[in-house]
Amino acid sequence: MRESKIMLLQYLTGLFILVLGTFHMLLLSVLAPTSNKVLYQYSSPTNHTLIGGTLYYSTVTAIYHTLLWGSIFELLLTFLVFHIFNGFRIILSEQFPGAKAEKIITYSMLIIGLIIFIWGSRTIVLMLLQGGI
Amino acid sequence: MELVLKGFGEVVKTVTFRVRRYDPEKKEMPKYMEYKVPVQKGMTVLDGILYIKEHLDPSLAARYSCRMGICGSCAMIINGKERLACQTQILELNKDLIKVDPLGNYDTVKDLVPDLSKLFKNHESVKPYIVREETEPYGEYLQLPEEREKYALFTECIMCGACLSACPTMATDDLYLGPQALAQAYRYIADSRDAGFNERLNLLDSKHGVWRCHFAGACSEVCPKGVDPALAIQLLRGVLSKNIFIKYKQNPAKLGPERASIKEVL
Repeated sequence: MRESKIMLLQYLTGLFILVLGTFHMLLLSVLAPTSNKVLYQYSSPTNHTLIGGTLYYSTVTAIYHTLLWGSIFELLLTFLVFHIFNGFRIILSEQFPGAKAEKIITYSMLIIGLIIFIWGSRTIVLMLLQGGI
Repeated sequence: MELVLKGFGEVVKTVTFRVRRYDPEKKEMPKYMEYKVPVQKGMTVLDGILYIKEHLDPSLAARYSCRMGICGSCAMIINGKERLACQTQILELNKDLIKVDPLGNYDTVKDLVPDLSKLFKNHESVKPYIVREETEPYGEYLQLPEEREKYALFTECIMCGACLSACPTMATDDLYLGPQALAQAYRYIADSRDAGFNERLNLLDSKHGVWRCHFAGACSEVCPKGVDPALAIQLLRGVLSKNIFIKYKQNPAKLGPERASIKEVL
């Protein structure tokens, strides 16, 4: 693939990450399905046992239960993996120029990216189907 | 009594030149040497260097030719910035210490003389000439003044190499084409007489081509002729981006009327 096509994808994924990342952050704050929007809700001021809050485990997993949000997270993961590992490829290719080094860098990034994508997808699917991992 | 240069004004003050000395043939580390130079009105840094060569240390090596900012031979780093030594007035620097280094991102031939092979090789690789199918044009290619305006800015390059020295990508990526070559590539692609876009495409749209520019803008900042290579790179990116969706078509200018005088020369 020509570098211009790869770079176009790099810029577009960057843009999508910004949009989806904003949704992600909003979902964990103002759009979170909790009444008082506090991050952590303790049982009492003296007893720090978590009973709720937007970052409470069951509150977060509740978000993943819908297919819409699961799909959005999956998309965010896809864009992030491409953007991050293509970025690494570019940076490392500049640091270690040369045909052999670039081949090693490209394939290494591809393999690491795929592993992280599969692992992340597994998390999202398990959350969606089973409500937790 | 201080030795002064003829043709200049009175001695205003004495400045210290701290010059980087390095000879790769001698197995010694680079070092800085200091020279006291009496500054007369109108003296440039190149005049200061020539003063050192003539009166203080003839072993100092520097490259120069026209002394009037045309040839680009005397580009060097003066007080941390790439400049032409012949165009830099010592008094305008307003410093008592002038630090002079050879251009960065190049090997050093000796002292202030950089090895510009990389610059010339990259320049040559982008085919810096009008590419046409015809081998022997017996006339002139017609071009409107407005068409020339599109690339006029980029014709000012004197190949001094200052932009490559300032470029942060050049410092890490040895295979990067560099701002000079990319600006010249755009200069010819934007030329209405040229038909060589596809011949240059593989090189420009490669892993070490136009996309590796970080847009630091240092090349444009230091260019002594105001060429603005950073702008050329962005324009080139625009051309390559459009080319993804719609194949970039060049409509090379038509040949003017046949000229007998040209035929006779050929």
